Amino acid sequence: MFSLFQFLRSTVFTKIVMAVTGLMIVGFLAGHLLGNLLMFSGPEKINAYAFGLKSLGPILWIVRLTLISALGLHVWSSIKLSNRNRAARPIAYQEKKSLKSTFASRTMMYSGLAILFFVIYHLLHYTFGLIQPQTYFDNSYTLKSGEVVHNVFNMVVAGFQNPFIALSYLFAIIFVSAHISHSVSSASRTLGIHNPKYLALTSRIGRALAAIFLIGYLSIPIAVFSGIIKPACDNTEACAAMKDCCK
Amino acid sequence: MNLQLKVWRQQNANTKGNFTDYTLNEISPDMSFLEMLDVLNEQLLGCGQDPVAFDHDCREGICGSCSMMINGKPHGPENMTTTCQLHMRKFNDGDNIVIEPWRASAFPVIKDLAVNRSAFDRIIQAGGFISVNTGNAQDGNTLPIPKPDADAAMDAAACIGCGACVAACKNASAMLFTAAKIAHLGYLPQGQPERHKRVLRMVHQMDSEGFGNCTNTLDCEAACPKGISADNIAKLNQDYLKAKLRGISA
Ligand code: HEM
Ligand code: FES
Repeated sequence: MFSLFQFLRSTVFTKIVMAVTGLMIVGFLAGHLLGNLLMFSGPEKINAYAFGLKSLGPILWIVRLTLISALGLHVWSSIKLSNRNRAARPIAYQEKKSLKSTFASRTMMYSGLAILFFVIYHLLHYTFGLIQPQTYFDNSYTLKSGEVVHNVFNMVVAGFQNPFIALSYLFAIIFVSAHISHSVSSASRTLGIHNPKYLALTSRIGRALAAIFLIGYLSIPIAVFSGIIKPACDNTEACAAMKDCCK
Repeated sequence: MNLQLKVWRQQNANTKGNFTDYTLNEISPDMSFLEMLDVLNEQLLGCGQDPVAFDHDCREGICGSCSMMINGKPHGPENMTTTCQLHMRKFNDGDNIVIEPWRASAFPVIKDLAVNRSAFDRIIQAGGFISVNTGNAQDGNTLPIPKPDADAAMDAAACIGCGACVAACKNASAMLFTAAKIAHLGYLPQGQPERHKRVLRMVHQMDSEGFGNCTNTLDCEAACPKGISADNIAKLNQDYLKAKLRGISA
């Protein structure tokens, strides 16, 4: 009577997929933030780090494919479940109060969709270099070791010196932060943690992560936009086109 | 006190409903909400109109039938209280009160405020029981139950199946109801033999009824007139995962 097929179809299982993939992405966001904060240690550090990542070869691809599949599964299950939820209440209430739920918990699908668009935009921007090609291509940096590598530092500075791009990142990070604030405790519940003490801890961890990600990720566009981080001086056209180049 | 009511009227499941406004005068603050509706119905009958259909039975907060959404909150403004136990003194003279049925595709409207909650019965039928051979009841003390487990089982068993959790949930999910029934048996030794099959079967039935899924917003536990904790939902998730990892089939 009960098959694996039904297991895959059950809402409880779909939710487990969502929780596991979501937490994988949270893990990635933590690592990504630590890497990004190297922007504050100057061009040498972050360019060497980025070069190191790119030199991982097959390992980098395994990590990338894992993350993309996690995101894909996460989005697939969220669409499946939220379609179901919409069908479960075809007629809306004339008046409906929210009792205990947080705003973030009620708007997960919206923050999620905003994040999805941002992820695509962000990859086009800094991974494929298509949003600001002039700062991506032909923008190299010579490490102390003599190795000539991509100048990630100046690419990021050029990005955030543009007010529209800085603003788009600001909004995206607010959405990520809202999503995370509900997701850690929600995922813990979905995965079966039911001791009230641990549950209280997970919601505190979720809120703390949301705050850390908000401050951490935002610190970079703010530092660039306010001129605390200046472009690395070299004689490329990319540098010449930037504000504060070689000042 | 004088009140302005806005009540959902719907002839049956197949017709479209709409809100109708009523004015009630000289309502005593000592009346229960249902008594106030009784006054309304007397008034309607007096003018030859169709009275408002609503479910009620015990009128003492234990049967779970008096389901209705009052000003956007299941069972009205007072926490941990059913509609029959809600007093009019919780409202003010001149208030506008919006009264709607539970809204969920799994709870079709029968008439006006009365909805069909048989979906809950079918979830119970799928596994919310223990199978015992009849005979003499054994001595209670031969089955030791740790106090915290007995308390947790008792808290979950307080569920009266009213459906406020579904009504309050933005996804119309029945997870708190199902989880309470599963926890109530799952904390006790008598519930162990069928524990894994139970969770699989009840979740399967819950899904087939067309309820939404749980996004852990916790509005359900805030709406529950018996204060049942949503931590039971997390326990259901754990039981479900364990049953599946052990390869149990229902
Ligand atoms: C930065 C990327 C993202 C991270 C770190 C993330 C993380 C999470 C986590 C951990 C959960 C909790 C799972 C659970 O409750 O069991 C969750 C839930 C959810 N996510 Fe995401 N997610 C991300 C992107 C997205 C995207 C792109 C979408 C949709 C297009 C999305 C939609 C949802 C929805 C609808 C929920 C369920 C709401 C709930 O449980 O309250 N997420 N997310
Ligand atoms: S009438 Fe029984 S609980 Fe209200």
